Amino acid sequence: MSFVSVEQLQKTYSGTPVFSDINFTISKGEFVTLLGPSGCGKSTLLRCIAGLTPVDQGKILLDGQDIVPLNPQKRGIGMVFQSYALFPNMTVEQNVAFGLRMQKVKADDSHKRVAEVLQLVELNDFAKRYPHQLSGGQCQRVALARSLVTRPRLLLLDEPLSALDARIRKHLREQIRQIQRELGLTTIFVTHDQEEALTMSDRIFLMNKGRIVQSGNAENLYASPVDVFAAGFIGNYNLLDAETASRLLQRPVTSRIAIRPETLGLSLQGEPDTLIHNHSLLGNVIRYRVEVRGVELVVDVLNRSPADLYPDGQRVALSIDTSTLCEVA
Amino acid sequence: MSRAEAGTASVYHRSVVYLLFIILLLPLLGTFVYSIASSWSATVLPSGFTFKWYLQLWSDPRFLTAFGHSLLICVGALVLSVVLILPLLFVVHYHFPKLDALMNILILLPFAVPPVVSSVGLLQLYGSGPMAMVGTPWILIGCYFTVALPFMYRAITNNLQAINLHDLMDAAQLLGASTWQAAFLVVLPNLRKGLLVALLLSFSFLFGEFVFANILVGTRYETLQVFLNNMRNSSGHFTSALVISYFLFVLVLTWVATFLNKDKSQ
Ligand SMILES: Nc1ncnc2c1ncn2[C@@H]1O[C@H](COP(=O)(O)OP(=O)(O)OP(=O)(O)O)[C@@H](O)[C@H]1O
Ligand SMILES: [Mg+2]
Repeated sequence: MSFVSVEQLQKTYSGTPVFSDINFTISKGEFVTLLGPSGCGKSTLLRCIAGLTPVDQGKILLDGQDIVPLNPQKRGIGMVFQSYALFPNMTVEQNVAFGLRMQKVKADDSHKRVAEVLQLVELNDFAKRYPHQLSGGQCQRVALARSLVTRPRLLLLDEPLSALDARIRKHLREQIRQIQRELGLTTIFVTHDQEEALTMSDRIFLMNKGRIVQSGNAENLYASPVDVFAAGFIGNYNLLDAETASRLLQRPVTSRIAIRPETLGLSLQGEPDTLIHNHSLLGNVIRYRVEVRGVELVVDVLNRSPADLYPDGQRVALSIDTSTLCEVA
Repeated sequence: MSRAEAGTASVYHRSVVYLLFIILLLPLLGTFVYSIASSWSATVLPSGFTFKWYLQLWSDPRFLTAFGHSLLICVGALVLSVVLILPLLFVVHYHFPKLDALMNILILLPFAVPPVVSSVGLLQLYGSGPMAMVGTPWILIGCYFTVALPFMYRAITNNLQAINLHDLMDAAQLLGASTWQAAFLVVLPNLRKGLLVALLLSFSFLFGEFVFANILVGTRYETLQVFLNNMRNSSGHFTSALVISYFLFVLVLTWVATFLNKDKSQ
């Protein structure tokens, strides 16, 4: 039995459709990520679910109830914005307590709940500060605490980490995931960062131009992209059309092929038909740009020791693991 | 930059600032000294000091009435503008952002037409007929409202653009606040600064307004500036005391308002 179910959702902005037929279901306690390039309609979808933007058609069922006719105050949905949207005139404590104040929760009860959720995001020492006295990461944790304190049925996060630097982002995404698990909170997370999506989610909905192109867990999405867009968006697939693929594999191929760079191997044994154009060091991986039989490919090799590095211009042998080749539409 | 250079630069900066201060303060200082001089005509220095001009001024019922009139009209005009402009700004920025361009043109109109010209028009329009208001404080309140409009609109708009109005409203509404609650509890407190600046600016400007007051109302509802003008033939010491009193009043008002508005959060 699904907890959230979106059926044939449609949204048009002054004649141009943002999305026209969105369908998905989410079960209780699941962490789902909407992944897609900028402008594909992720924020709009989230705002429609929250009730901040009216939908043209379709149903959004939350716990069996159609929430489309309800206004945002009544939906019991929490949301964290990319811009934090903290109230500048209130302290951290007052910001977090705002939702309880609106629900007319008694003062001592409210106090206790605010303290609890500030504890959860490790910000109890900052309760009396104002938002402008906090770092970006701290602000985002306040925003998270503020939306958690009312115990929403569904939590929406719209690129909450994209304004933060890489280290804080990693830390915070683990913290978000841990809190989400602890509270068993059904969550929709929006991002355009594939790494974020792959590491955090129970399930990923890959969106493009207002459509959900593919949905599945991280392994599924990574290993078998359904089309060129999915292959191009996730990982660093080598995308070859049928003719180039035939030349590379030296057998007739009828469809487009996607090859993951880490499934290719380079070695000095075998026929040296591959020319190394250049390489770049990504840390634990070395990424080579090579050419074989007139086909340019990207090859990722684990960086074991500097001695194994192939210099630019060297000829090596290429091995292809044909079982991981992926035909895409 | 070497230390010596920094030294000369700072001396230069300081002297410019002090010079500016002196230029601005000199007339005020002169007026002040004149207002406490018992007489100062044939000598280089005043012949003696006295507060009698102030005593005379502050016990003059005509002055006190004019002062009260000015206060009433300014406060009335500002209350009217706050009550009308705040909701207007909110609606423009929240629901119809495109109207902002139109508003920017509209608020320039009070500046585009010189007061002397527009007051003639106002005299014709409100001099007789169903809306005869000339000679009453009401026409001044209405007229001052239009004068205050640009200050209010610009200052509050800047303030509104500095906060993220839409996200704040969205966040408040998702947390259960109605549009009204969100506007009063979240948006309004963040406009305090801009509002105060606008009010102070408009107040000092309107308090010293003469042209409209003189032409539209004159002595029928005498304001401070009209009173000052009518006193131009009396003792210069007396009018100096008036100017200094007026200046001090605006100064104290500004100071109190800034003090009250001092941000708790800073
Ligand atoms: N208020 C609006 N009026 C008209 N068009 C809009 C409005 N808001 C969004 N759009 C359009 O809808 C489409 C989807 O926008 P949306 O903000 O949902 O994208 P997104 O996937 O969240 O992108 P990003 O990753 O950059 O945030 C865009 O093409 C955008 O131009
Ligand atoms: Mg977005």
